[in-house]
Amino acid sequence: MSGIAERAKELRGNRNAWLVPAVIALGVVYPFIEDGLSNLPVIGDFMPTTGTLVVMIAFTMMAVGLNIVVGYCGLLDLGYVAFYAVGAYTAGWLASQHFEQVTFHFGSSVDNDQVGIHVTMWVVLIFAGLLTMLAGILIGLPTLRLRGDYLAIVTLGFGEIIPQVVRNGDSFGGFNLTNGTFGIAPIDAVGFPVLSSIGFFPENFQTSDNRERWYYLIAFLLLLFTIFCSVRLRDSRLGRAWIAIREDETAAAAMGVPLMRTKTWSYALGAFFGGVAGAYYASFKSGAFPADFYFNISVFLLCMVILGGMGSIWGVTVGGMILAYLNFSGLSTIGSKIQDAGLDFDPTKYQFGIYGIIIVLMMLFRPAGLIPERRHKIELEEGVHDTPFYDVQTEGTLTDRDRSND
Amino acid sequence: MTLKRNGVLCAALVVAVFALVAAGCGGDSGGGAPEALPSSACTGIEYKGDGDPDYIVASDFPLQGSSRTQTEQIVAAIRYELDQRDWKAGDYNIGFQSCDDATAQAGKWDSGKCSSNANAYAGNDKVIGVIGTFNSGCAAIEIPVLNQAPDGGIPMVSPANTYPCLTVNLPGGCDSTEPDKYYPSGSRNYVRVVAHDAYQGAAVAEFMQSKGIKSVYILNDKEAYGLGVATTVRNASQSLGIKVAGFEAWDPKATSYTSQFQKIKASGADAVFLGGLIDENGAQVIKDKVAVLGPNDGAVKLLAPDGFTTQATIDESGTASAGMYMSVAGVPIDQFKGAALEFIDGLQAGPIQGKAIDPYAIYGGQAAQILFDAIANSDGTREDVIKKLFETNVTDGLLGTFKIDENGDPEEASGAVVGFTIYVATDELKTETTVSPKPETVAAAGGQ
Amino acid sequence: MRETLDRALRTLRNPKLVNGIGLALVALVGVWLLINFIKGPEEFVNVALDGLTRGSIYGVVALGYTLVYGILQLINFAHGDVFSLSGLVASTMLLSVIGLDGSSSNLAVVGGIVITLAVTVPLFAVVNATIERVAYRPLRGASRLTPLITAVGMSFIVSNVSLALYGVDYESGSELIPQGAAFTIGDIRVTWKLVVALAIITPALVVLSWFVGYTRQGKAMRAVSQDTEASAMMGINVNRTISVTFFIAGSLAAVAGLVFLLEYNIRYDTGFELGLIAFTAAVLGGIGNLAGAVLGALVIGFVQSFNEGLTWFAPGGDWTRSIVFGILIAVLVFRPEGILGEQTPEGA
Repeated sequence: MSGIAERAKELRGNRNAWLVPAVIALGVVYPFIEDGLSNLPVIGDFMPTTGTLVVMIAFTMMAVGLNIVVGYCGLLDLGYVAFYAVGAYTAGWLASQHFEQVTFHFGSSVDNDQVGIHVTMWVVLIFAGLLTMLAGILIGLPTLRLRGDYLAIVTLGFGEIIPQVVRNGDSFGGFNLTNGTFGIAPIDAVGFPVLSSIGFFPENFQTSDNRERWYYLIAFLLLLFTIFCSVRLRDSRLGRAWIAIREDETAAAAMGVPLMRTKTWSYALGAFFGGVAGAYYASFKSGAFPADFYFNISVFLLCMVILGGMGSIWGVTVGGMILAYLNFSGLSTIGSKIQDAGLDFDPTKYQFGIYGIIIVLMMLFRPAGLIPERRHKIELEEGVHDTPFYDVQTEGTLTDRDRSND
Repeated sequence: MTLKRNGVLCAALVVAVFALVAAGCGGDSGGGAPEALPSSACTGIEYKGDGDPDYIVASDFPLQGSSRTQTEQIVAAIRYELDQRDWKAGDYNIGFQSCDDATAQAGKWDSGKCSSNANAYAGNDKVIGVIGTFNSGCAAIEIPVLNQAPDGGIPMVSPANTYPCLTVNLPGGCDSTEPDKYYPSGSRNYVRVVAHDAYQGAAVAEFMQSKGIKSVYILNDKEAYGLGVATTVRNASQSLGIKVAGFEAWDPKATSYTSQFQKIKASGADAVFLGGLIDENGAQVIKDKVAVLGPNDGAVKLLAPDGFTTQATIDESGTASAGMYMSVAGVPIDQFKGAALEFIDGLQAGPIQGKAIDPYAIYGGQAAQILFDAIANSDGTREDVIKKLFETNVTDGLLGTFKIDENGDPEEASGAVVGFTIYVATDELKTETTVSPKPETVAAAGGQ
Repeated sequence: MRETLDRALRTLRNPKLVNGIGLALVALVGVWLLINFIKGPEEFVNVALDGLTRGSIYGVVALGYTLVYGILQLINFAHGDVFSLSGLVASTMLLSVIGLDGSSSNLAVVGGIVITLAVTVPLFAVVNATIERVAYRPLRGASRLTPLITAVGMSFIVSNVSLALYGVDYESGSELIPQGAAFTIGDIRVTWKLVVALAIITPALVVLSWFVGYTRQGKAMRAVSQDTEASAMMGINVNRTISVTFFIAGSLAAVAGLVFLLEYNIRYDTGFELGLIAFTAAVLGGIGNLAGAVLGALVIGFVQSFNEGLTWFAPGGDWTRSIVFGILIAVLVFRPEGILGEQTPEGA
């Protein structure tokens, strides 16, 4: 088992050795060459703006988090949007004027006379992650003993309840927790509270001249951090236990994997990144609103995971970026091109129909995703004979595979 | 192996940190043609004058869903106004972009779109003003972002936001941090040409009194607009001695409201007020009201604010809407006169090609006029445009005569801007009466 | 951390505690209903009748879920969307093709309803069976999550077909049936809505139970749902039986779609929300159990109406959804087999 894992890792390392730094370099310079790119003929219009990229990255982070639950541990979570909501509202609680009863400032760049809790966003991000983790554990404890589709339904139930609780949360026995449909806005911006004294780093992104670039670069670092954690988690003892549960729960239990605890950890850690991304995105768009957290978002995130390949970090990252791009800018650009050509068709209207088609086609023809997880691929190649649509190229056992296939 | 891979990642992190340092160094080039706002939300820059535009004015409205008939006319009115001025405000050439804050699937405004639009305006130093929004909830998102934009904030003029707490702190209904929380920079950048809902609440309450209503049950959709107007109706009704038998929400996603109306029946109210929009399953609410409480011209009356005042209400709810009262700001469309009449004729001859004019087109034209006048009188900086906006003094304009007060609301008004028209539904909207609420009722509606 | 977690887990699994909490909750609800009944008996009955109207429609949709789940162990998310598409098509049939409106005679309306059913029932039976053939059958044998995810995808596809054909506007046929009371007993009003709903739904349920109980194909369905492999060995054509099941589920969706159209507003996304409610009903009654689905649906209908219509300590309409899905979660956690269901391995 570990031999295979090692070898798979080795191969992956070799293949991606140049790719990772190249992508990172491109990511870093993108906001500075965006102007030039958007002036290119034909493809220029399709280039996402830096602001769009921030949103894309936030959702990709959530997808990478969801991947821990769905991809690693094999638990179908149809209510991941709940974690996004918890993260966003944590940012609202800790970095806005919402709790007007108190005035508490910690490292924040807003005026000291503003009422409400204003904690610097860096702390808020961590806090949001931890609180979301707690939410994951609380949702997980009673429900994770359910298997498969029942679990999916329970998470869906939570995903439906939480927006309504948020919507009605303007008066819990008279206490205004969520401010109802008005949402919590504005939420404080990210900034460099101490570094700004040097002069170069802005104290507050919102008022700085390069708001989008700063937000983008921090988002990019957060994404790298998420991916890094995700890789390390997968290769850890816990990660191997998750994958064992995904492959065969009964066998895993028989081998001494504590099912409940392991599953709860996958929930908690998967939720963590959803919370961080939710809080960051809330700060970027400067608000948290109950209307943002509906079931479609959960499916949208799930679609990213499926498109990329369940369990495959790079796959999910790529799938997430593609779908988020389509959702937040690509489809409307394509739509305006179609309308320029004189056709009356607006693809943004059917975005979820398009995601539905992607899900069904992927499930039918390429269930392992665009960039299949190595382990998953091995397993598929080993032969799942009763599914004729699988692209079975070589049949063999784990030990007699040809290296050149990779 | 692992070590090496980590090394690569670490190196990448170092690169990223350097890039952060570089981030501050990027500057925008000044002069030349302005850069357009992103095409994912906005039309390209429209400009029909000479040379290049100096500045961009953007409009921000939900251009999809059932508000579309209203918002498209507002945009047409802005274009028409620009045509009248040869795309100039004083010495400045003005380019125009129409941005959409709605999504097709929801068919209404979307908080994500509002936020990304606002940030796009804030990130473009050629944007000299924004005309919008249509929905108060969206305005609450955009105002703080524009308020903190560089060079003193971006001026914003709304033709349609009626949620009171965007500009004033009314004791009955606003949080103590409103409206200041919408203006983090400490100075104002937002004005509107429409009277806020304390006026509409007062008008509705006075109308109910004139109809002899003793007890009203108020439903709302919990949104900024719906809850806002429902609250002012509650306050104003109580001040006029009308009993408020109940005040609660309806869930737009519910299948049926029959049971809820059973409860209302038990409360003995002789009128029901719906604070919200027709888009929020309003037709089903109206039908279930009639099914349980009888026709609207019978024992229990049905009233609704301008969120329901469109032909769509009658078309969607069929015979159930008959006899229902709906209010809207302004005088009836056939009673506009002077400048407004000229504007309507020009608009109908040109951009909207003979379609029935929507009252909001006139508000849109008025909003555009005061913004362009402010730009014309300014020295070309955002800060000065805002200053001039707050000095606005319109005499016999499209909406009559009014000034903008220090909160950004119209004041000392006469003419269309202070009146309300109450329509009654037959197979179309028929004018029932017009109401100009008394100042003391308006004050009571605001909880003062 | 680890010990606390394990202890919390153990406590939560203690069956005595679980049953105790469940019983206490049920008792509380009983007391609440009783007090409300005493405070206003007529109102209470009126509200309950509204619950019955809604519950009967949920029941028909819930049957579609439970039939499919019984045979494939698949939550067919697309079912709710097939339901709303069928309602929309029925609106075209009734209002445009046949051309009925508020002034049509009763006889014309009844005739129109019969003709519409004659078109939509076979149409959506075929649509539903086609969905199974295209999207689910190739995945048979894959892990259980694969078809489930596919079903979510199908749900979005079908609802977007509705969106493309009918836009975001609501359609309604409620003008066709009288809005008032059919008859009254004291202050208790039995509405035409209820009468129409029962008049259409009851025959459909009778036909269904005859089919499942007494026909050869019905027996095959029951056999396959008990043990697919054994039935295949006994010579039952499993693929055909599954197709028939989807066929029946589709017909039921079409019936429910028409009834819903006659009583309420329907648009492209109505089926999603209603489908979840109906699925909750199926789980509550014991998924796979036909009588359970109807019972569960009636309970959900009553819960919704009582919550919205009762005056004494009712949370009110804006909590309805939370309560319904709260019930779903509570049932799955405390009693996964539902009211009438048998113990399943899912709960283990």
